Parts: sequence; C-alpha cells; structure tokens
Amino acid sequence: MRRAVVIGAGLAGLVAGVRLAEGGMRVTMVAKGVGSLTLSPGVIDVLGYAPGRVDSPREALGAFVAERPDHPYARIGADALEEALAWFTDRVPQMRYRGDGPRNLLLPTAVGVPRPTALAPASMAGADLRGGGRFVVVGLSGLKDFFPRLLADNLARADLPSGAMVGARHAEITASPRPGRADVAGQVYARALDDPAFRGEFAAALRGLAEPGETILLPAVLGMARAGEVFDELQERVGAPIAEVPTVPPSVAGMRLNTELTGAFARAGGRVVLGVEAVGATGSDGRISEVLVRDAARTRALPADAVVLATGGFSAGGIALDSYGGLHEVVLDLPVAGPPAGVAPLSERHLDHQPLMASGVAVDGMLRPVGPGGEPVWDNLHAAGTIVAGAEPWREKSGEGIAIAGGFRAAGAILEET
Amino acid sequence: MRGYRTILVERVDLGQGTTGRFHGLLHSGGRYVISDERSATECAEESAIVKRIAAEAVEDTGGLFVTTPADDPGYADRFLAACLKTGVPVQEIPAAEALRREPRLNPGISRAFEVQDGAVDAWKLLWGNARSAQEHGAAILSYHWVTEVIREGDRVAGVIARDNRAGEMVRIEAAFVINAGGVWAGEIADMADCPGVTVVPGKGIMIAMNHRLVRTVVNRCEHPGDGDILVPIRTVCVIGTTDVKADSPDDYSIGRDEVQQMLDAGEVIVPGFRQARALHAWTGARPLFKDERAGEGGEDTRHMSRGLALVDHLRRDGVSGFLTITGGKLTTYRLMAETVVDAMVEQMGDSRPCTTATEALPGSEDGRHYWLGSRLAAQEEAMADDQLVCECELMPRRKLVEAARRRPGMTLDDVRRALRLGMGPCQGGFCTYRATGILHGLGDAETERADELLLTFLQHRWLGLEPILYGDQMRQACLDDWIFQGTLDVEHLPVTVPT
Repeated sequence: MRRAVVIGAGLAGLVAGVRLAEGGMRVTMVAKGVGSLTLSPGVIDVLGYAPGRVDSPREALGAFVAERPDHPYARIGADALEEALAWFTDRVPQMRYRGDGPRNLLLPTAVGVPRPTALAPASMAGADLRGGGRFVVVGLSGLKDFFPRLLADNLARADLPSGAMVGARHAEITASPRPGRADVAGQVYARALDDPAFRGEFAAALRGLAEPGETILLPAVLGMARAGEVFDELQERVGAPIAEVPTVPPSVAGMRLNTELTGAFARAGGRVVLGVEAVGATGSDGRISEVLVRDAARTRALPADAVVLATGGFSAGGIALDSYGGLHEVVLDLPVAGPPAGVAPLSERHLDHQPLMASGVAVDGMLRPVGPGGEPVWDNLHAAGTIVAGAEPWREKSGEGIAIAGGFRAAGAILEET
Repeated sequence: MRGYRTILVERVDLGQGTTGRFHGLLHSGGRYVISDERSATECAEESAIVKRIAAEAVEDTGGLFVTTPADDPGYADRFLAACLKTGVPVQEIPAAEALRREPRLNPGISRAFEVQDGAVDAWKLLWGNARSAQEHGAAILSYHWVTEVIREGDRVAGVIARDNRAGEMVRIEAAFVINAGGVWAGEIADMADCPGVTVVPGKGIMIAMNHRLVRTVVNRCEHPGDGDILVPIRTVCVIGTTDVKADSPDDYSIGRDEVQQMLDAGEVIVPGFRQARALHAWTGARPLFKDERAGEGGEDTRHMSRGLALVDHLRRDGVSGFLTITGGKLTTYRLMAETVVDAMVEQMGDSRPCTTATEALPGSEDGRHYWLGSRLAAQEEAMADDQLVCECELMPRRKLVEAARRRPGMTLDDVRRALRLGMGPCQGGFCTYRATGILHGLGDAETERADELLLTFLQHRWLGLEPILYGDQMRQACLDDWIFQGTLDVEHLPVTVPT
C-alpha cells in the first residue's frame, strides 16, 4: 500500500487526505493543531469579487485567470474546480450545501453586507438576498459577536441587484444556556441547542417574532453535532423560515464542517496526528522518502511515497516573514514567491491590494512546488490551499474554492502516478 | 485650582498629539545629567511629584542605566558624578545583580546603576488631569481647532475656534490666553501676531513589543542616542526612540529603516529582541523650542534642550494677556503648567499660589500605583455580569456604554484613548466590530457613521502595523483580514473608505 503524508489539517489538507485515502493510499495527516476551518464561516466561496462583484464564477473565471496567470486557479483549471466541488459536497452531506448552479448566492454578513458565495449550508442559504426579502434579525443577549440592529440597518441600505427590495428590522431574545452569565460563547449556544430541552426554550422565545413573510436571521449557532435536526425543528416549531448568519471566530459552522470532514477522513481510513510539527524531509533522486516530524520528545521520520503540503499561508503559519523582510516556507524551506520586483509589498491603505500577503510557493500544473526556473523541487511533493502563491482569498472570496480544488487536484496527481 | 474660570481648547482629542505619542517613560532625569543639566534636575524633581499626585497613572518600575558592550565604558563614571551634581538619585549595583533582576538583559553589561524611572500611562494621566480640571470648574472643548487669536490693540482677548464635530465656529472671550500648543505653539503665536516663536518638531519612533521583556526601565549608560531605552508599560514594553527634525508637526510617517534601527538597538539591550513580536509602531514630535540667541542650526534636534520654554509676549512683543509655554517633556508637564500660570498671575497683578504639586488627581487619592494585575483584578470581580468587548485589554462593555453616555459621538480612536480599545496583540481584530455594534445599538452612531467608525479605526490601526509587520504580527494581520474581509466583507460596506 502506498503511503502519503499530508501536512496540515485545514480544508485543503482534509480534502486531499480524504481523496487519497479513498483512492487506496495509507494516509497520515500531521498538524500542529486543529485546522483553521474552525475559524471559517462555513460557506464555500469560489470567486466573489474580481474585483467587481461576481455573479457567476463559472463565467468569470476565464477572464479572471487570463489576467492573473500566477493565480492558483490558473494552475488548477475551471473543470477540475467543478469536479472537485461536486465531489466535495458529496463527502459532507450533513452540511447540506446549497447553491444556484453556476451563480453565486448573495448572503448577508454579520455587518449586513451582501456577500457573494458559491455554496452555503441550507441553514444559511435561505437568506439569499438576490430576490430581496423581509427579515427580522434576532440577536442573543448573551452573545457579544452579533449586532442585530447593525445588520438590519446595513441590509436596508445594501447594494443589491436591481429590483431586489429588502426590509429588515431587529429584535433580541434572552433565552440562554447559561442564565446569569452575561458573556456566552457561540459554541456554548450551539452545543446547548443540540439538547432538546434548551432547543424548546429557544424555539418558544422565537415564536411570534416574525411577521408573515419575514425570515428570521440568527447568528450561526443553531446546533453543533445535530445542526440539521436543530435547524429543521426550530423552523417547524417557530413557524417561520430561519437563516443563519456567520459571525467572527470561533465559527460554529466552520466547526461543523471540520467535524464532518475529519469524520469522512477517518471513515476512509486516514489517520490524523495532531500536536506534532513537520520540520523537514529526507529523500533522494528528487523524491521525498520521509517526512520529519517533531513531537514533544523527539523527531520521527514518517515514510512517504507522496506528500501534500497544506500548511496554509501567513495566518496559518505555513509561510513566515522574518524581521528583515525575508520570506520562508517553514517546513521544507521551499522557495517562496513574494511580490514581483518593483512592486510595493504593502499599501498604506488597509483595504487595498497587499501584494506581500499573496506570497506563497509557486506550483506547476500538478501543483508541485517549483524553483525559480519552474522545475519541481521534489517530484512527489504537492501543495494545496493558501500556501500556494498568487491569491488574496479574503479579498477575492475564493478561499474554499482554492483549497478544495487544490486538495482534490493534488490528490488526483498523486493517484494518477500509479 | 487657582480660582480662574478656565476653558481648555484642543484641536482633536486629548492626547491625540505629542502627549499620547510618547515612550511611556517617567524620567528620573538620568538621561540628561550630562547633556542637559537643567532638564535632569527638573525631571528628578517632577517625576517624584507625578508619582505622588498621579499615582494611578504611574507604575513604579524603577530604572537601570547599564553599560553594554556597545557603550563607551568611560561614560559611567561621568554619569555617576553628573547625577550627584544634578540631584538625580542614583546607586550603582553589581552587574550580576542587574542580570539577576533582569535575566533577559545583555549578559555582557559591565556596570549598572539604579535610578527612579517609572512607567506612566499618558491617557490615564490625561484623564486624571482633565477630571481634576473639570471638578475645579474648567470646561474642556476637544475637537475645537483654533483658527484665530483675537487681538484688541496690544492685548489678546480670546480665540475663535472651529468645532470640528458640530461644524460651527466658536468665539471664546477671555482675560488671558495661554498658548500650550506644544509643537504647534508657533502657529498659535503667529495667529496672535507674535511671530518668530519657532518650535522644531523632533520626531521620534517607538515600537511596542508584545511582552514585558524587562520589568524595569532599561537605559543604556551612554550619551543619549537612538533606541537606547526600553520601557515596560502595562502588558508591553516599548523601544525607542529616534530624534529627527520633521518638516511638519503633523508628519506621523514611519520609515522602514527606522524600524530596523530600533530592532537592532533592541538587540543591544535584550539579545534576541527581533524574535519578539512587535505589536504597533508610532511616532510623536517633541516640541523643541528654538531660542533665537542659540544661533543657526536646528538640524540636530537630539542636542536641543528638553527644558521648558516660557515665552512672555508682553516683554517680547508688547502684547499682554498672552503667554506661550512650550518645550518640556511629559515628565515636566506639571512644572510647565505651574510656570506659565505663575507668569499669568504675576501679569494680572494677582497672588494665588500653585497647589498642583500637593493635590492628588482624582483616582490617585490613595497614592496606590498602577500594578500589572490591576485591570485583571477588576475584570474578575465583574466577570459574570458583563461582556468583555476587548479581550486583549480587558475592556468590559459597561465601560464603553458609560463612556458613550458621558461623551456622545466618540470615534473608535477616542474610545482607544479612553479605554485602550484595540491596543493589544490582535490590534482590533475582534473588538472593532463589537465596539461598532455597541455604539450603533446605543444610538450613539447612526448606521453610516458606524460603518465609517469601523473602517476608519481599521485604517488607523493599519498605519501603525504596516511598518512593523513580520513574524506573528504578520500572522495576526492576515487573520484579521480573514475576519474583516473574508467573513464580514467590510470593504463593501456602503460608505466611502477613509484614507
């Protein structure tokens, strides 16, 4: 049985791991900690802004990569992206991802901006703003990360497709899993809602809040392990459509996706080792044969016939910037592609394009990290996710698309090798 | 406090200028014992007074002057002699003892001297003074920009200011006007037709590091130079500073080369300094008064006096009812006030004595100094009853609500200066959204204003982040981008993005 080592337990690593394990490989995933999916809002972005708002990622992608030949999507290709997304949604049925074919949904953020995304859990998709709608935004008095009035007031002035009329008002309920505590985290609400007792109390508090024709918008805390059941039951008992709105981390929807995807990986036979740090690799003839990992006591060698590097960009710690401005890939010391010469690495305007933040490893068509001459550093090393250079996914709203398609494609390239 | 009806006019918020843009150091005077004897003595006397009257704002860290391998070993003996001469309390301790107290210090230090430096929170000091002034009947008009000094013949009779929040002009008639415009004092004197008051902006950079790498203020025992002081203040320590003549007092730009210079300088004091996480950088401009009699120059601001400068416009320009006080340092702020008010009292033919050296500021009556755990201790008491809006700086929701009630229409930078919003490691990553939502929910900021507050605060935090982004702070900045742009999509809020 061929052995693969996946470094990193975020979305790209998990996708690659599941596909490799399903493809018959013995997969070991190593990561310093729980992956950053737990920080993500749980929606699947493909391409939201380019830089104008994208209506259909499928239609926009060609021109987008033509203008950006070094973007990860230029390496992956639109067909692989579609195939990967279809494959992915089948792997996480409990998330109940919904989309509108090739078109983006337009879902409200917690500050009331209509945000384009390709796929969203059914529990969120009902807030699609493209056709307008009437909403009552409901806050939870103990949750400090959701401001129903700000959301509602911004929604009312939002930039929507012509003809879409939105009405929004706000309300608050005091039902709490920790009565007497002023500060209750989202995941505490979510776990409490898994329990039918609190769910009943919560439903009772919501009942009667929505006028006919209104959708209730709530922070995305409606259940953790039993989120589907919680959502269905709440809608039924409240008697009004409900939609969840993701808010700042920690993200309950991201935790749900992380749980389901790590479960899929385990069911496919994969093994996860958390709390270890990959620190290097050994190999010969252009091929890695072992990945070196350090745990509390020692450095160990994990045999590998193929390796997927999915350690993320700066925020996840896959790429580091030292105090002299030097860029480093932290595990294998791969060459890092930073801002092109003559381009200011950072702009003084915070919301501008920040070329330095798009730093990462450059890859070939099989997503193998390459050196300055375009030659692969290792023939059996593939990279996926935010570690790949050339994107600012938080601006483009492209993070999940890049991670899923990259993980899928990297695994595909490894499986094709046999 | 002397019984005059007083109005304080400030062009932006209190502490938005030089006062809030400093090192956090309450000078023992040791730094100036050779280069500027008068300042040394003033600092020694005034720091003792400030520790007494503004105890709540001061952490009594103590200070060290250490001779590092990079310093002239001959300076130490001259330093010791000069301390004795200028009245700056000092005691030499064995280098090994200094290293025992401060294990991160450069192990190559050869000599160490204990002095009475402290760390002072500029904002706490300001609010203490402001509250005291208000309790004595003063009115404080922030966001009032003086556009004209009213002259009646040979007398100054008041000022006209633009209320930048209400968008109105305000006329204030007064028997006396004190120009305490600091680095902008020359501009105000010009308005009174008293030209030639030259205040050179001596710009310096400071960088806050994520931890207290030292517990004591550490100075290099050497002629004052760049980046030779490390001040532990609250949960951080601050390295600084430089001293370059700026073209404008409003130039807050931060040079990448200056950042590198500070990091190198930090390595001399604490080896491994570059491995620590830099949180935020800022610059401030010292008001360095240029005496015409000192002749030409003014390029080398490092060697201009830190002493306070009283300009008597009656004697100098034949204009009564008008005095300028500038120069000085934060440590000598009280002495500056005493000096100028004494001069005013004299000119008015009055004789009311100064009491600022003996009367404690509100909040400091018990004489207890700030200590590192005091904010956490207060938070623990209220933990169950209140939400924490800013986890880094332990800012509870109640404090924000109270502040908004007291001072409607705050910007998030105003909140930062009052309550330390967004000053911690995440630099506003979580609290910016929360504070915006709370102010909007209170009705304090209508929707468009709330959106502007959020984006403006993020932009302002970025100005102090962008020059020092590396290591874990780069990580943090990218995480914050995932939150604000990725999850919240704030860049598409329906307002014009501030510059």
